[in-house]
Amino acid sequence: MTKDNIYLKIPCKPDYISLVRLTTSAIAHNLKLCIDEIEDIKVCIGEACINVINQKNKDEISIQFEVNEDKLIIMVNDVTDDLESDTEGFKEEELGLLIIKSLMDEVDFTDKGINMIKYIE
Amino acid sequence: MSLKIELRYEENDNLIVVIPEGDIDIYTSHNFKEKVLNSFENNKGNIAIDGSKLEYVDSTGLGALISILKRARETDNKVIITNLKPNIKKLFDITELDKVFTIRGESND
Repeated sequence: MTKDNIYLKIPCKPDYISLVRLTTSAIAHNLKLCIDEIEDIKVCIGEACINVINQKNKDEISIQFEVNEDKLIIMVNDVTDDLESDTEGFKEEELGLLIIKSLMDEVDFTDKGINMIKYIE
Repeated sequence: MSLKIELRYEENDNLIVVIPEGDIDIYTSHNFKEKVLNSFENNKGNIAIDGSKLEYVDSTGLGALISILKRARETDNKVIITNLKPNIKKLFDITELDKVFTIRGESND
């Protein structure tokens, strides 16, 4: 089975997130995923990048798209689910992780970051 | 993508009408929050957000809306969100924010 890899590295700044979303949307579109799924993937890649930006000590965001015949795997380095506990109760970061876990088919955290998987029907 | 914000105060109904056009995301959410809260400081009324021209919202956008809701509640005002597109409405459902905001299908019901 062939695997195609696409790498994207951007400065860790909000300015470039729309570029990542557009690129991700184009990749998903090429895989003939439906509009709803493309929207879901766009939201998730955005949330993964926000997670890295919110850590405030990173210089760049490193993203790898692994295109398989039956699935798209998106790996984003430095995404963490180890959020600092906050007494205020509400955290945007928690919303972000909740959204990713709900919209992707599979989500794994590794020592490098996050792997988000969408299966291609 | 970016965000345009149309804001007006309807005195008869004591209502702040907000029409965001584009994306409320990590790049625009801070500005969105500031603009709406500024308007709210001038006229303490209910806030109606028309989502018909809204294309994209992320967690920072949801956070901005929550901040606006918290401020509105301090004076017992409501935040009503209307006409959300299905892909955005889905985020409110996932995060259960659909139970916190008043969400309606049409802007006039």
